[in-house]
Amino acid sequence: MIYMVVAYTLVWAGLFAYLAFVSLRIRAVRTELAAVEELLHEREAGQE
Amino acid sequence: MNTLSALRLFYDQVLAILGKDIRYELRSKQTWLGMGLFALLVFVIFNFAFDLRVENRAAVAPGALWVAFVFASLLGLGRTFAAEREGGSLDRLLLCPVDRRAIYLAKLLGNLLFIAVVELVALPVFAALFSISLFSGELLPIVLLGTLGVAIIGTLFSAMTAVTRARELLLPLLVFPLIVPVVIAAVRATGALMLVAPNEPPWLGLLVAFDVIFLSLALLTCSYVLEE
Amino acid sequence: MAVINKTGSAHHELAAPTRRPPLPLVSLLLNALACVGMMLSIWAIFLYAPTDAIEGLSQRIFYFHVPVAWLAMLSFVIVALGGAVYLWREDERWDWLALAAAEAGAVFTTLTLVTGSLWGRATWGTWWTWDARLTTSLILWFLYIAYLMLRSYLGKTPTSARAGAVLAILGVIDVPIIYESVNWWRTLHPAAEIGTPGALPPSVVLVLMLALVSFTLFYGALLIQLYQMVRLQYLAWRLRTRLQVVD
Repeated sequence: MIYMVVAYTLVWAGLFAYLAFVSLRIRAVRTELAAVEELLHEREAGQE
Repeated sequence: MNTLSALRLFYDQVLAILGKDIRYELRSKQTWLGMGLFALLVFVIFNFAFDLRVENRAAVAPGALWVAFVFASLLGLGRTFAAEREGGSLDRLLLCPVDRRAIYLAKLLGNLLFIAVVELVALPVFAALFSISLFSGELLPIVLLGTLGVAIIGTLFSAMTAVTRARELLLPLLVFPLIVPVVIAAVRATGALMLVAPNEPPWLGLLVAFDVIFLSLALLTCSYVLEE
Repeated sequence: MAVINKTGSAHHELAAPTRRPPLPLVSLLLNALACVGMMLSIWAIFLYAPTDAIEGLSQRIFYFHVPVAWLAMLSFVIVALGGAVYLWREDERWDWLALAAAEAGAVFTTLTLVTGSLWGRATWGTWWTWDARLTTSLILWFLYIAYLMLRSYLGKTPTSARAGAVLAILGVIDVPIIYESVNWWRTLHPAAEIGTPGALPPSVVLVLMLALVSFTLFYGALLIQLYQMVRLQYLAWRLRTRLQVVD
């Protein structure tokens, strides 16, 4: 019984940790894209 | 151009590239010597790792033989496209109006030839070191077909990984999972020569089937890998 | 030629800076459905499904293990299909799909191995046997890792996409062969039987179906998120290289 509870908890904790990791990565790439776009716009505005 | 002359051209291209590779290897000798010595060293290590006595020899020897062959082949396979890239000659080869499949086939035949020569030298040594009577002539087709299977996958992925920095690391990671059926069939076919077991599937036939499947897949996809 | 077209279209896409993700409603609905389905199946697995007379509680791992294993295999088929269509159409969205499916597949294969191992420990008394299914799952896991490593070493280039596609196509044909050859290899050493289907009571089948559907919905939602992530990563990388070219 204890074995089952521990196993179940570990598997779900692993899955949720992965999901959290994915959402962090998505957030990171969103901010990065925004920053790079900003830079590009500044660059283009500077050129014109 | 009709099909016959197209085939003829294809054949000439394969032969030309193969001849070039053989001349190169004959001159440098590095790959041959390295592969051969490596295979012998694996035999030595296996001897210590398993303490081969009379009773367990038949169970371990086919495995030892094939581990040595597969590892040594991978050593040579990694060099096929890497040497060309380092010299910058691969770009020129790809610029030539040559069918990609001809390049792949020539490289495959070259690899098969080099590995087979190394194996033919290593086999008698193996027989002597492990005091196994050098089986019958039946071992030759097994060794050849098993090596062909390894070389088909290995040559294809050698082209892929030649671009990367970590090709020595990446090539075995890609090749080993895919050649599992070939290795199983080759080890079991070799084992069946030493210790006759009932109810064995026709491993030699399966080996031929795996080789045919892998070769056709490799010929279908090699043009995507050999691109600049 | 194709490369120039790709960068052109990506540039066009970036005309609207803060673009909404495509089909937000479908994605939201899928997320909600997956969430509800998962809750429902967890309730069903632990409270509705009957306790197995022989195996006891550990049999409930079955309802997690089977859907996860099915998705691990489905994912590899998606990787190979994405790769094949990419080679045929030269449209990089299919490659993004393949890359997203490879990551999801690696996660689900890991879960398959872990849940299978836990179940095996409870019922067979051993974490691992070299049975055809287990060996094939392990090799599938190695293939996923090899795919992801190959892609990361080759970078975000068409070469990388083509190499990945070739690996996935070879792998998807090789995996059934591996399964069969391990089966033949094992003929002399009979492995533990997993149990015959058809002998399952209807309530078990019902719970299994519910779990299969809800895990597949969850997989779909995860795949969409991963696809978006891969797409954004590619766009950001492309923009950064453009900035460097301007410099």
